[in-house]
Amino acid sequence: MTAERVEAYASALFEVARAEGALETVEDELFKVARTFEANEQLRSTLTDAVIPVERRLGIVEDLLGGRAAPITTALVSFVVAAGRSRELPAIIDQLVERAAADRKQVVAEVRAAIPLDAATVERLAAALSTATGKSVSVKAVVDQSILGGVIARIGDTVLDGSIRHRLDQLKEAI
Amino acid sequence: MARTAPRRGIARAAAAAALIAWLSVAGFSGVASAAARKTTHTAEECIKLLEDGGKIDDCQKAPSPIIPETSELVWGVISFAVLAFAMMKFAYPALKKSMDARADRIRENLDDADRVKAEAETVLDEYRRQLADARNESNRIIEEARQTADQLRRDLMQRAEAEVAELRQRARDDIASAQERATADLRNTVGTLAIELAEKVVEANLDRDTNMRLIERYIQSVGSGSSA
Repeated sequence: MTAERVEAYASALFEVARAEGALETVEDELFKVARTFEANEQLRSTLTDAVIPVERRLGIVEDLLGGRAAPITTALVSFVVAAGRSRELPAIIDQLVERAAADRKQVVAEVRAAIPLDAATVERLAAALSTATGKSVSVKAVVDQSILGGVIARIGDTVLDGSIRHRLDQLKEAI
Repeated sequence: MARTAPRRGIARAAAAAALIAWLSVAGFSGVASAAARKTTHTAEECIKLLEDGGKIDDCQKAPSPIIPETSELVWGVISFAVLAFAMMKFAYPALKKSMDARADRIRENLDDADRVKAEAETVLDEYRRQLADARNESNRIIEEARQTADQLRRDLMQRAEAEVAELRQRARDDIASAQERATADLRNTVGTLAIELAEKVVEANLDRDTNMRLIERYIQSVGSGSSA
């Protein structure tokens, strides 16, 4: 039931973004919103707290995204929060991103790095991952300093871990 | 009523005794008078002997102290016969009857006593048997109680020994487990400390250029199809 609901919301958001002609921008911004939502415990608990009035939660969304993201992105996030589906927001956005990539005949690769990646590096990463998987890959880069260094790429259920954190974990296991 | 016949016999015996006594007295009085007459006759002979020139010793002769006079013997025999006849005729049957009655009574009493004694012995035997049974029963109960106590003691000992063995084994297991945990904790702590130290070293030395070189190496590795 939850999967169907997530699918329905993702479809709705996808259609709105495509109708607005800003699918790629909305896709990238929503992806960053989802990762921020997952990483920030305080933000997550605030937006999912039913005791807090919806108006206040929408005000928080507006404060966070207003001026930093496209108005359509802010509107879509506000729509989900107002519908009381904040808890499913990352799943809805991931579904939307996958659908957008599928629409472009691509698969989504979530790439984590300890430093921000420039466009050229992202391009080369996409090309390398496409070569490795045999599919056209759309890279969604996330800055995650907890991996210390290197890169972690996740494509569906496949994880290609080249991070320092992974090497240290292997070393710890060996010890 | 039973005692009337003996009394009658006793009265008859008394009457017979009185008659015999009278006859005896009368007999002795006759004997005495005959003796007196004989003495008078002897004296006259003695006087005549003395007158014929005899001595006094010739006329006096001492009577035998053992053998009585013939007349006394005759009267004595007659008196004895009369007395014996009277006794056999009157006193003896009554006396015999009385003695038989007493003997019967004594026999009955003896029989009663024997019967009571037999009953008493029967009761005594019964008491002794019951006492023996009670004694046997008490001994059996005591023996059972002793065996039960022994069994209980053995069971308790076995249980206590089993519990002690279990406690010892558990203590040994706990000690071994604690040792393993301590060793694992120590190893984990050492590993964690080593990793933390490595992280600090990496963070201190991992600048942007180094990070970019790692990313480039990752891209080359993934692009060449080898493991990341």
